[in-house]
Amino acid sequence: MIKLSNISKRYRTSAGVRLVLDDVSMTFPSGKSIGILGLNGAGKSTLIRIIGDAEPADAGRVSCDGRISWPLGYAGGFQSSLTARENARFVARIYGEDPHYIEDFTYEFSELGSYFDVPLRSYSAGMRSRFAFSVSLACNFDYYLVDEALETGDARYKEKFRRAFEERRANASVILVSHNEQTVRRNCDMAAILHEGSLQLYDSIKEAMQNYQILQTRTH
Amino acid sequence: MKSDVKSTLATIPSFYASVLQALSTQGRVINALVLRETKTRYGEHKLGFVWAFIEPTIMVTVFVAFFSMMQQDSQGAMPLVTFMITGILPFTIFREVMVQMQGAIAQNRTLLGFPQVTTFDVIVARGLLEFSVLSVVFVVMLFMVHILGYRVEVEDPLMLLWICVLMALFGTGIGFFFASITPLIPSVRQITTVALGRPLFLSSGLFYTAESLPGFIRDWLLYNPLLHMIEFGRSAFYYEFESTYASWSYVYSWVVCSLALGMTTHQAMRRRAIVGI
Repeated sequence: MIKLSNISKRYRTSAGVRLVLDDVSMTFPSGKSIGILGLNGAGKSTLIRIIGDAEPADAGRVSCDGRISWPLGYAGGFQSSLTARENARFVARIYGEDPHYIEDFTYEFSELGSYFDVPLRSYSAGMRSRFAFSVSLACNFDYYLVDEALETGDARYKEKFRRAFEERRANASVILVSHNEQTVRRNCDMAAILHEGSLQLYDSIKEAMQNYQILQTRTH
Repeated sequence: MKSDVKSTLATIPSFYASVLQALSTQGRVINALVLRETKTRYGEHKLGFVWAFIEPTIMVTVFVAFFSMMQQDSQGAMPLVTFMITGILPFTIFREVMVQMQGAIAQNRTLLGFPQVTTFDVIVARGLLEFSVLSVVFVVMLFMVHILGYRVEVEDPLMLLWICVLMALFGTGIGFFFASITPLIPSVRQITTVALGRPLFLSSGLFYTAESLPGFIRDWLLYNPLLHMIEFGRSAFYYEFESTYASWSYVYSWVVCSLALGMTTHQAMRRRAIVGI
């Protein structure tokens, strides 16, 4: 499980200091897919970057009993001047995995074909995220952090990913952030809402959806 | 009390284990970063690695040609070609380590999204690559001029290597400093290229010795620690030359101060350097 204890994060903007996360504490159980809903600018990406240790929080700590992926999203942590093969090797090296295995798995799973040896800068957004997800699947993480991105690629490929993630569900969990309720409804077992710096976890997706809809109409 | 001691003792092995674990992760990450930097810097052009040799070679050739036209074949007892190489190459090590480190955070921001990749790692990886490449270039150039028939006999190779290391460390301190503030104040880049580049190039004794200067200019230029280091480098290279002006304590003070400044600034600024204010 992943445990957040008293996480706070503020940003200094030209409009003054903005409190993005206000003393957030929560435990994410293992083996469940959790969706975190939030309106645009609620701090979803910040939250997931803090969970993935890509960005330090101002206060509080994240503890975890397994390996967490980097936050997967459109941008990914990849070097656009390098090819997919080289990026895959880089990821394998920093996670201490076998570069050949990671390379082969990614090549097979991403179905990029000859594009695998082309620099990422000439990829479309869909191809990029296909690559990012394939590498992360190759690495066998215990927790996958997903930032808005499952919905790219064509229908057949989306299905392939969903199946792959479902297979892992037995020993891996997904934490997904999105502003889109459909994405969460389709991919998650539980949902939480991030609003005005605080995070509220709901046992049933249905209850979370109702509250999220109220939130959306209120702000519109 | 007794159980306290026991529990402290029990935590010692796990403490060392976690330190070892952290060190091995850091080693893995720096290794991966160096390989990646090598690819991006030298893998994209057809000539690739040859580029690393071209710039210093051109610079040495131009200066040798210029000074031979001025009817000056040597500096004292030192032949012109090796004189220029022993000036330009150590200086290039300092400058390139500094310049490459400067862009490390700004140009590797995407990689910092991986939790185990830290700003320290990306900066150090660049410096390591630069230092090793330029050391190879230095040795190969000396080898080439030896083949061309010039006398290459190094009096004290270890001291020459130590001077190159000190050049790199001095560049590292300043490089860390600029790497940490450049993401926040991008215009700093102009300062390092214009304000630091030319004056240092002219005042560090690349094409003259401290002794050959008029007294009042020498007094001023001896404030520049790079001049001291290049003087020591040549003392290590030539049997015929021994600098009377260079001071080790002056060199070490600057190197230590630059590292302290660089590390402190990095420690203070790294969070903001990642996020961008």
